[in-house]
Amino acid sequence: MNDYAIEVEGLTKRYGDLVAVNGISFTIKRGEIFAFLGPNGAGKTTTVEMLECLRKPTGGKAHVLGLDISRDQMAIKKRTGVLPQDFYTYERLTVRETLQYYAGMFNSRPGVDSLIKLVDLEDKKDVLFKHLSGGLRQRLGVAVALVNNPELIFLDEPSAGLDPKARHGVWHLIDGLHKEGKTIFLTTHYMEEAEVLASRVGIIHDGNIVALDTPQSLISEYGKRNMLILKQTSPNAVSNIEKLGIKANYDEATGDVTVHLNHRVAISEVLHSLSSNDIPFGELQLRRSSLEDVFLNLTGETLGEEEATL
Amino acid sequence: MSHVVIDLKASVKSFLRNKSTIFWTIAFPCVLILLFGAIFSYSSVKYDLYLQNQDLVDGKATYWSNFLISVLNSSGVFNIRVLNSTINATDYAISNRLSSLLIIPSGFNDSANMAILAHDPSLKNVTYVYDQSTSSAPVVGSIVNSIVENINFKLSQGVKYLNVQDFAIAPKRYGYIDFFLPGMIGVTAMTTSIFTSVSISAQFKQNGVFHKLATTPLRRYEWILSRTIYNVLITFLGMAVMIVLGITVFAMKMTVDAISLFMVAMASLMFTGLGMIIARFVKDPDGADAAANVITFPMMFLSGTFFPLSQMPLFLQTIAQVLPLTYVSNGLRASMIFGQSQAAIFDTGIITLLGFVCIAIGSWITKWEED
Repeated sequence: MNDYAIEVEGLTKRYGDLVAVNGISFTIKRGEIFAFLGPNGAGKTTTVEMLECLRKPTGGKAHVLGLDISRDQMAIKKRTGVLPQDFYTYERLTVRETLQYYAGMFNSRPGVDSLIKLVDLEDKKDVLFKHLSGGLRQRLGVAVALVNNPELIFLDEPSAGLDPKARHGVWHLIDGLHKEGKTIFLTTHYMEEAEVLASRVGIIHDGNIVALDTPQSLISEYGKRNMLILKQTSPNAVSNIEKLGIKANYDEATGDVTVHLNHRVAISEVLHSLSSNDIPFGELQLRRSSLEDVFLNLTGETLGEEEATL
Repeated sequence: MSHVVIDLKASVKSFLRNKSTIFWTIAFPCVLILLFGAIFSYSSVKYDLYLQNQDLVDGKATYWSNFLISVLNSSGVFNIRVLNSTINATDYAISNRLSSLLIIPSGFNDSANMAILAHDPSLKNVTYVYDQSTSSAPVVGSIVNSIVENINFKLSQGVKYLNVQDFAIAPKRYGYIDFFLPGMIGVTAMTTSIFTSVSISAQFKQNGVFHKLATTPLRRYEWILSRTIYNVLITFLGMAVMIVLGITVFAMKMTVDAISLFMVAMASLMFTGLGMIIARFVKDPDGADAAANVITFPMMFLSGTFFPLSQMPLFLQTIAQVLPLTYVSNGLRASMIFGQSQAAIFDTGIITLLGFVCIAIGSWITKWEED
């Protein structure tokens, strides 16, 4: 058994003249949470579906759990779990029956009750799928993805469309699976989700992987500087701050000054300079750079909530 | 095989929990049977009457045979269709499933003349050959009898110079309901199989259920097999309920043999395949219902389910000959009502062939994921 759950080399998918995935290569270690980000049409779904053995690649090769995706589809399916976006199933089966159904497909004998407990659906186990809310359906979907005790789990937008509480519930669940040693391939539109959960992040754009590293490394390399926002201050603050060797902007509409921090100047120095020159300011806000900035920088696009729920 | 059983169990559970599906699959056909059975027992229309005149002299009808034909014609009740005098008309009626045939025998004219002279009944009777499984045959028979009786009355004030002899080509006496019920079983096989195939495929495609199933070891052909068996089982259930209704409410007598059961299974297979073919070109569940209706609705009315094909205009009868439901209905009537195993086997053979062709094409073009 090698150390990699997924090994991709020159993976390509063409639809006629359109190159959806353009010879991408990457590896994912066992036990890792890998987040795969990309705008719509970037090749993200096509890549994942090739790894799930749902689409045939037109070039390159990929191994999932050491198995060839072109030859060992059934073996891969038996050892992986998949949560599709907006999980849906037979409407008139209960939570318990749904789990029994999918367990039967894998000829596995999972503890259905323990799975129900894991996703916190004990009080809903006899409720029909059609009567479950979106959040509960996603939790059931996670449980279904685990019926075969998979070594690798593909989670496609696991918290899309969920309210913040339900979203954090799903994150907690994913974190628990990670602690059990499962490898998780996460596709998400939520940058915060990737930042909180993933040990590494890959960004795909126009069929090419444009960045692949830990979230912090990506933010350091491609993100903006951290920014300090001084609410309702004077325009004089800008010249005062720039004397410290850092850039600042004044917004006439709001009266706010944005300070672009760097490693050489501490926030305390900025505040001390303003105070000693009797320049007033109101509230202070610190805006940290995030994966969103990285994504914007690399792809020129944003992934907002609206797009995430599409 | 265990995957098929698991999926089948899920489908049956879903069916039993879906009141709307149960209504349309089981209750609605029963309501139609009750309504049509009650209404059309008393209906009257213009009937086809096939006629063979064997009483010819130099190729021309004799006086009495011509007289009888003229009276039948002038009644305005019949569409008289004349058969060649040299063929075996009874065999022709059986093989072509004619509902009503009148044979005027050779020597009919001479016998009638002798009877009038002797004031005795004629020795040569016209023969009424009829299919009692059709709703029209008893009606036509009684009209022919009353016309002949009227001729006798005018000629003799009571002596039955002319007689009509009955010859049934079906063993038992059946009414409209016996015609209608096998047709409704065919319609149930069609609607159950097409609608479930089309709508389930469209729903599963739109909701991503196919996507999820494709990530499991369940193979596509196992799912298709499960859906086909499900459709057969639901049609059998509908068939059983309709038969019980027919027997208890309409005192029907019928035979449910291996041929009729096999025909129902093959009809479900064929319509499941047809549904899968339609589903391939449907984008969403709303479009699925519309597409299924476009196929099933005309077929329901043009395949001789509600009315005998002979009562429809000729061009519609021609269309009916290319509709698969026509063969399902005819085959079921032949096996369940006529007791004509040869004709039933012929129709079942056609449906079996079409069934395997449709399911093969449907399976081939049904995709869980676009590649």
